[in-house]
Amino acid sequence: MQDKLTAKNIIFGLLICFFPLLMYAVDYISLLLSYRDIYLPTPSGDYILYSVVQIGLYTLLAVGLNIVCGFTGLLDLGYVGFYLVGGYTAGLLMVRFGFSYWMVLPLAVLNGALWGLLRGAPTLRLTGDYFAIVTFGFAELLFRIVKNEIWLIGDINGFVKNIPRATIFGMELDQNWHHYYHILILLALVIFVTYRLQHSRVGRAWVAIREDEQAAASMGIDISRYKSLAFAVSAAIGALGGAFLAPWSSIISARSFEFWESILVLCMVILGGKGSIKGSVIGAIILGSLSEILREVLSNFPQFGGARYLMFGVILVVLMRYRPDGLIFKKV
Amino acid sequence: MEQFSQQLINALVLGGIYALIAVGYTMVYGIIQLINFAHGEIFMFGAYFAFTLITVFNLPFWVALPISMLLCAGIGVLMDLVAYRPLRNAARLSALITAIGVSIGLQNLARIIWGARQRPFPSETLPAFLRQGIPPIEALPAFTLTETAIALPGGAYLPYRDLSIILLALILMIALNRLVSLTKIGKAMRACAQDRVAANLMGINTNKVIAITFAIGSALGAVAGVMVGVREIIEPTMGYYKGVAAFAAAVLGGIGNITGAMLGGLLIGFAEVFGAGYIPYGYGSGYRVAIAYIVMIIVIIIRPTGMFGKSTTGTRA
Repeated sequence: MQDKLTAKNIIFGLLICFFPLLMYAVDYISLLLSYRDIYLPTPSGDYILYSVVQIGLYTLLAVGLNIVCGFTGLLDLGYVGFYLVGGYTAGLLMVRFGFSYWMVLPLAVLNGALWGLLRGAPTLRLTGDYFAIVTFGFAELLFRIVKNEIWLIGDINGFVKNIPRATIFGMELDQNWHHYYHILILLALVIFVTYRLQHSRVGRAWVAIREDEQAAASMGIDISRYKSLAFAVSAAIGALGGAFLAPWSSIISARSFEFWESILVLCMVILGGKGSIKGSVIGAIILGSLSEILREVLSNFPQFGGARYLMFGVILVVLMRYRPDGLIFKKV
Repeated sequence: MEQFSQQLINALVLGGIYALIAVGYTMVYGIIQLINFAHGEIFMFGAYFAFTLITVFNLPFWVALPISMLLCAGIGVLMDLVAYRPLRNAARLSALITAIGVSIGLQNLARIIWGARQRPFPSETLPAFLRQGIPPIEALPAFTLTETAIALPGGAYLPYRDLSIILLALILMIALNRLVSLTKIGKAMRACAQDRVAANLMGINTNKVIAITFAIGSALGAVAGVMVGVREIIEPTMGYYKGVAAFAAAVLGGIGNITGAMLGGLLIGFAEVFGAGYIPYGYGSGYRVAIAYIVMIIVIIIRPTGMFGKSTTGTRA
């Protein structure tokens, strides 16, 4: 399935590369049409581009979560914790100490990996339900800390405001198409790294641990080492997502890192099929777009604000009932 | 001293409420080894059902409470039937993910039906002794009865409301303990908890026993929900926060162990109230919810079988 230069793949690739151009063309056409009093019922291309960046960020997180949930088969309910670590590392360093985004990015990733190892150390021998509960508690604790520690964050409810934009050669990245290419590059990088890891000795060791930990150990796989590596890589990707979020939205608060975000990302991974990178990406695209569309539709009915999450709950239940291995792909 | 005895009362009440919820978690785990994430949501629905029955249908409190219990028992059984029974022999993580899905679904259903805002039970609809009283300004001699509270030695007041909650929790706990240890259905439950397949072979209808377990746990959760409604406020997220604290209680007592869950509930209640009250610099109150999480994480990492858990359950994890 790799390196095929078929017409379909080339068109698909070109579409991804020139998507912003297409969207701005849509905007231009609707501008031209509006001179003749024709108004299209679609949202503006710029807004779609913004939503696509949001979906890209979720895709990044889904690919990261898939490493622990899919490859090593441990249910991580606290992935949002690493997203939080990345977001606050980037936000605070940039606002308080005036670091540039490109300095902060590797620092946030390293910090995320560190937290992944920190959380991983005591949970190495836990499996199943107990691992899930500890990860959940861990993310909730981090959430409480940023919500309450005003001396650390500098504002109530974990608000960090006025985070400066990333700059390239003095140019501020503040247009939606800047963000689009930015997240696209990060995403490509992450998918490349994960893909290479999956098809290496490390990836095979992870899958072996998932299938049977004792058998893997008796074949000479160092369980602690490979599990720790999975935790660290997964956490680093989560932190990368957070580090992107901080300058992109220019304001972060504790509310961006609630438990439901973990569940949303988990839902994406499961929808696509645990253990498949392609599945995670497609799951994230489907659920991400559905979520954005519902947000748009439901914004007219504020009393049904909960319907978005109600839908995720129903999706989880129905999937587990009929397609526990995911909608799209079977387990590899 | 006065503050101490007041906190002691608060801790007992909260502990009783947690114990009632924790029992629901631990009973279900004992039989089907499932962390029923959605149990907290049942507890929240219990509070909202009673609230709706009282305010919309104008039913008296003592009618609303049992109806709410029945409705919650129904939801519990339905939940088992629709979501968990088809997965009985599937991978355990699938069941856990389903439970999380049910939990999110129910919580947001409540948000759609009743709105996200916090509300109290309207005081005038409650029986007189369950109302919030204003403590008298001057200290009364010990054991004087006022309209809403008893004066205790040392200057504290024990509201009748809190006294009834503690007593009701105690009565329900004893009743549950008797039910499980003395009756036929209790025996069937214990048999299922030991070995479901063997119990089935002995002619026990395990599906029925599991449904009854869900019903009992949910009804007790509904009582806890009404208690919280009478004493504090109700909101759609209450099931999530109080549910996790109660789950921590179940873990602390050794998950699967009913007596352990009761004691664990009391301990978590004490840890939360005294932690919030006595940790200096206002740290306690901000981390009120977190205290239960910390206890839970430490217990799982250091002693996953809990304080009173049997050592055999440890290998199941």
